[in-house]
Amino acid sequence: MITRRWLMMVGLGLWVGSAVTVDAQETIKIGAPIAMSPPGSVAQGKEVRDGLTIAQEMLNKGGGVLGKKIEILYEDHQGIPEKGRAAVEKLITRDKVVAITGEHASSVTLADIDVAHRYNIPLVNTNAWSDAVRLKGYPQVFNRSNYNTRVAEAMADVIARMKVKNVVAFAENTDYGTGQAEAMKKALAKVAPDVKFTSRVLDRAAKDFTPAVLPLKADRPDMIVTIMIPPASYVLMNQLYENGIAPSKQTWLYDGAGVADYPEFWDNVKDAGVGLVSFGLYHPKVALTKLGKDVREAYMAKEKREPNRLIFQAADSLFLLADAMTRARSTEADAVIKALRDTRFEGVLGVITFDKEPGIYFQQWKNIPFVTYQLTAKGQQLPDTLLVQGPGIELAVDKLMRPAR
Amino acid sequence: MLVFEIVFTGLLMGIFYALMALGLTLIFGILKIVNFAHGELFMLGAYAYAVLVLRAGMAAVPALLSAVLLGALAGVVVERLLLRPLYTGQVGAGPLRDEYAIIVTFGLSLFLINLVHQLMGPYPLKGPDLTATSRIEVFGMFVSPHRLLASALGALTLGAVIWIIRGTVWGKRVQAVAQNRFGAAIVGIDHTRVSTLVLAMSGGIVALSGALLAPLFHAYPDVGAFPAVKSFVVVVLGGMGSIAGSIVGGLLLGVLENFGAIYLSYEYRDTFGFVILMLVLLLRPHGLFGERTREV
Repeated sequence: MITRRWLMMVGLGLWVGSAVTVDAQETIKIGAPIAMSPPGSVAQGKEVRDGLTIAQEMLNKGGGVLGKKIEILYEDHQGIPEKGRAAVEKLITRDKVVAITGEHASSVTLADIDVAHRYNIPLVNTNAWSDAVRLKGYPQVFNRSNYNTRVAEAMADVIARMKVKNVVAFAENTDYGTGQAEAMKKALAKVAPDVKFTSRVLDRAAKDFTPAVLPLKADRPDMIVTIMIPPASYVLMNQLYENGIAPSKQTWLYDGAGVADYPEFWDNVKDAGVGLVSFGLYHPKVALTKLGKDVREAYMAKEKREPNRLIFQAADSLFLLADAMTRARSTEADAVIKALRDTRFEGVLGVITFDKEPGIYFQQWKNIPFVTYQLTAKGQQLPDTLLVQGPGIELAVDKLMRPAR
Repeated sequence: MLVFEIVFTGLLMGIFYALMALGLTLIFGILKIVNFAHGELFMLGAYAYAVLVLRAGMAAVPALLSAVLLGALAGVVVERLLLRPLYTGQVGAGPLRDEYAIIVTFGLSLFLINLVHQLMGPYPLKGPDLTATSRIEVFGMFVSPHRLLASALGALTLGAVIWIIRGTVWGKRVQAVAQNRFGAAIVGIDHTRVSTLVLAMSGGIVALSGALLAPLFHAYPDVGAFPAVKSFVVVVLGGMGSIAGSIVGGLLLGVLENFGAIYLSYEYRDTFGFVILMLVLLLRPHGLFGERTREV
């Protein structure tokens, strides 16, 4: 009897002790595994970090969350899944973060979420597009990120409306790339079954895509879709242009990765970018919410340039966690996960809710806004591009300009 | 027409493969080690050219020459600080020497990638073309004039290196040290200076290829992984330490990769190089020209 009472007291003591430990923390620690060094997409990692920092500063300026400042602990995973897994393990077990966010590479995210699931730690996915992240059905994972099916359906709709008949997609050899090519094939089969769609997988580490491009000279498609992130996408675009394939009078070039709003795009693409049609997740002509305007203003004051979609996605990811903790009045995992599930939060682009339907929409912001625009002049900045589709803007493919040669 | 384009573009790429491999084979010839930081000197050349033209406003030709000088200087520093212990007996001989070479060049590679990443940031940088236009139309075929000009400069450099090695006194000294460092020292050749010269040449050559390819492959911290891997394949294919082997191996690899990628599968393009590498190691371990060079 005495032994049982002692055990109960010790257990109670440990429970209270752990609760006190959490409450006694001076800050709320959030883990952010991102690529900060090669071979991962460091450019993406930097944008995500900048977006998280803006949101962190805004939150802390407003008094923090639950009366505590937000502290973000970054870990560099170099875009390597094994390192991502180790980074999340370290953030959770050693640094005692209460949530994870910032992830931007599908292959790494697929590894990360296993760890978050095992430790029951909430994770807000910032930019991993692969549908497979949702298909795992982990209750801890919430997706502010865009998703492959959304892009594929949007692009298939544009392709159908443009009435092109022969489409070739170049997809990078990652979960994101091959996943989006597959999703596009399915989407086209639904809305434009007559379109001949071929996808080719390219190594994202390759430098010379000439052998992949050359055969297209003999059999020119009506459209080439790129599903690759930089720097490989830039190299491919230049080589398509140098070989006179696309963008050209005969062949449209359609970017499915949304790279045209990256800050270094024109430094790397030059003439090859003129005429490019792009899928995007933000355009300055699209109305922002009050929060969105504040984020934009804060970013522009700091960086002296227009924010791109990654800045907004990263900021939203942190705001979502802060909102869930505030509503849950706790940083305890189960309470935050429950609050995230019931999210109805006005983010930078609109009201974010998470779908409960199992499958690719599981805990996904389903109706994520998107845009379609075209770069019509060399060096053109995002505000000046030709917007042909967006929230409240009906798709107008007839406005798209075909290159003269 | 397609076959012509496959051979033509393969040869253009092959010239660069040869140029990249030439530096590696020169070092192997002299020091009998594989320089795992070779690709990072390519990266330095690419950055030097791109930064000097785009940010410092230098003209393209002086920027190319500066990139070569930077590569050569980096080669000299690497030889002085890291590789000299290999032949001064400071790190022992046999396996210990090989281990030292692997660790020190691998470490240098990682150091340079991360250093450049910190200094230059994560964004890729496209070097400016040597020509005003991005493409020209020749007989109904679009080609990049920069690629043509860069390949021509690459071919000229290959010729110049062959002339230096075969036709000059310094070249003879390099050949002598490559055959027998001890013997060369006995006949009065300063093998230390020869090693410095070879590292400088190697650094300059690979930096030049990086600079010439910066408009095509762009400059970013880990761009050197690709030339390093290709160089290893070419050097084994052509014969370790063989200059002629590097040139023939580079051209052969460029054309074979193109044919394989187009007629078999693009996805396995890089695999063809490794298949060739394995076949050569199995059937002719000294490579296509390995033996002949050792007999010179």
